[in-house]
Amino acid sequence: MKTSHNDQVEEWANYIKHNPDKWREQHTHFINAQIIMAREALERIKQQKNGKQKIIELFGIKNKNLIERL
Amino acid sequence: MREISDVNILKKFCEEFCTIVERHCKYIVVSGYLAIATGRSRATQDIDMILERINEKKYSELHKDLVQNGFVCVQGDTVHDVYEYLSDNTCIRYVYKDTFLPEMEVKLAKDIIDSIQLANRMKIPLTNVDVYFSPIEMNIAFKEEYLKSEKDLEDAKHFRIVFKEDIDEERIHKLKKLIRDVRLK
Repeated sequence: MKTSHNDQVEEWANYIKHNPDKWREQHTHFINAQIIMAREALERIKQQKNGKQKIIELFGIKNKNLIERL
Repeated sequence: MREISDVNILKKFCEEFCTIVERHCKYIVVSGYLAIATGRSRATQDIDMILERINEKKYSELHKDLVQNGFVCVQGDTVHDVYEYLSDNTCIRYVYKDTFLPEMEVKLAKDIIDSIQLANRMKIPLTNVDVYFSPIEMNIAFKEEYLKSEKDLEDAKHFRIVFKEDIDEERIHKLKKLIRDVRLK
């Protein structure tokens, strides 16, 4: 049976509660993967035409040292 | 294949940043990262932090310490300019000097609600993150009464299940009233 997103939130919260030794490793992989993928996407954006300017706009960068380092 | 380390990137970033901040002033980590550190399975790239209301001189010392330890402020590198954001109750963001993610969103305490959170800050063993968080009840009250987005309501539901035996409903009720009186008037 298809479950709603709300049901999934509840199922996962109950999984954490009842599996204190198991959830953390899976969770760390999920958290790290999404950050690594986002970092890789930013690197690809940086290689595009006007890529550095896009990064500056995306992050609202005003720090001149940070801009120079891009 | 991409290597994914066993070291949680958000936890490492948060603990390194908070260790430096604690040398200078009282802080709390609030909202989404607490949900994630207690197992919520959703994406985030930033961590929200509230600092006690420090003056420019004290902020200058904190900023210098952060920079010396590899963090940069996205909004600027001049303490005076950056402090203007903070004193206007606008958040500033710090990142590692060599990557833009994750980021720490920092703001100063602005009212009695923030002061109460700071006064009642706590470490939460389930997170396995050695930093101070605002109390669970305050996070639930904020998400259910003030923020109310789908994501926030799901975070609140997550807290209610994971901390079921520890939650003080009367405290949540009082905090929601305080939020209505102070933030929603």
